[in-house]
Amino acid sequence: MSFYPYTDNGGSALAIAGEDYCLLASDTRQSGEDYKIHAGYVPKAFKLTDSCVYAGVGFSADGVALVKRVRQSIEWYRHAHEKTMSTPALAQMIATVLYSKRFFPYYVGTILGGLDENGRGVVYSFDPVGSFEAELHKAVGSGAELIQPFLDNQVNLKFLPEVERTPLPLDVALQIAKDAFTSAAERDTKTGDYLEIFIIDREGVNVERFDLKRD
Amino acid sequence: MSSEIDEYNGGSVLAMLGKNCVAIASDKRFGMKLMTLGTEFPKIFQATDKIYIAMAGLATDIQTLSELIRYKINMYKLREEREIEPTTLAYMVASTLYERRFSPYYVSPLIAGLDKNNKPYICNMDLIGCVTTTNDFVVGGAADDCLLGTCEALYEPDLEPEDLFETISQSLISAVDRNAASGWGAVVHVLTPERVITRTLKTRQD
Repeated sequence: MSFYPYTDNGGSALAIAGEDYCLLASDTRQSGEDYKIHAGYVPKAFKLTDSCVYAGVGFSADGVALVKRVRQSIEWYRHAHEKTMSTPALAQMIATVLYSKRFFPYYVGTILGGLDENGRGVVYSFDPVGSFEAELHKAVGSGAELIQPFLDNQVNLKFLPEVERTPLPLDVALQIAKDAFTSAAERDTKTGDYLEIFIIDREGVNVERFDLKRD
Repeated sequence: MSSEIDEYNGGSVLAMLGKNCVAIASDKRFGMKLMTLGTEFPKIFQATDKIYIAMAGLATDIQTLSELIRYKINMYKLREEREIEPTTLAYMVASTLYERRFSPYYVSPLIAGLDKNNKPYICNMDLIGCVTTTNDFVVGGAADDCLLGTCEALYEPDLEPEDLFETISQSLISAVDRNAASGWGAVVHVLTPERVITRTLKTRQD
């Protein structure tokens, strides 16, 4: 048996950008190899600033190490510039950090949810080596394939061309996030236990917890 | 299934149970790996007036097996002087697949139909004929995970034919639009005791 530096701890996360809010949801299960469940409550989403929340799925240890490093960079930025880093700046910085380990990557699928400088909701998603994109909704992780088409359907109303587009209210976005995760927990063995939803608006960041399937 | 061969041609199938009705749907793509070669490839076949069978997987096996099943259905009708029942057909397909236990047809078949009492029935099976009968929906093909996600979230029991059509269509379109190996339009059949509603859907063409 030779040493392999990565494990897949599974788990899913999603983010939805609204007009004046952003919502980021992730489950809290930490899975191991085969069908093992290491723990039921190991959060993979973390608040970075008053207007930005991070979630990292994949290799849990790398996810935690990445947040630690990013948080320190935010601190240094604050001391150097006497202001909190904006969400778009944070996104570019995370991409640089990820690419700095291009040949021994942080094995994480990353999403950022927050507000931009104008207070509008934004979502950024990254691959493990730092290529990133701003989006309006995104799912990552072991249940991403199950969740993403559902978000396309419900958030974008992509397949109802005759319906008038109106900004998505927060309570509807919350219900979509909960439905997405109850469905994903039903079919993805690596997603479950608890759901943590971060709501980012002008007031700051709020967290809500909900139960998911535990089997 | 070995991911090399079962996603070589792409394509996805889906069936749903409603109130006194069933729906069965598929995309229309035929490709080789990432190259699309055809956009009108049939994956759903009529077994009887009230039973349809859909197959996703390796295109050559879909065509070979659909012809073999058609032959067996015709022979059954001649011998028994009656139409085959959905469950009977399911186990006929299953045993046909199991005959090839060690050199299988690379297909994911679904069967949807109404029995002699017009009771709706759906099932799917793996490539060697292990039948799973459910009371909600069954999926198969390259976008199976996407389909599982949309169906699990959008499906509700006891839908009327028109609502079932909308649900199966939205589930299928949303799923295949996130899967490069599936899409290029779709076909939906809704089977009711009175009639079969067949519609084709437009999806993105790339």
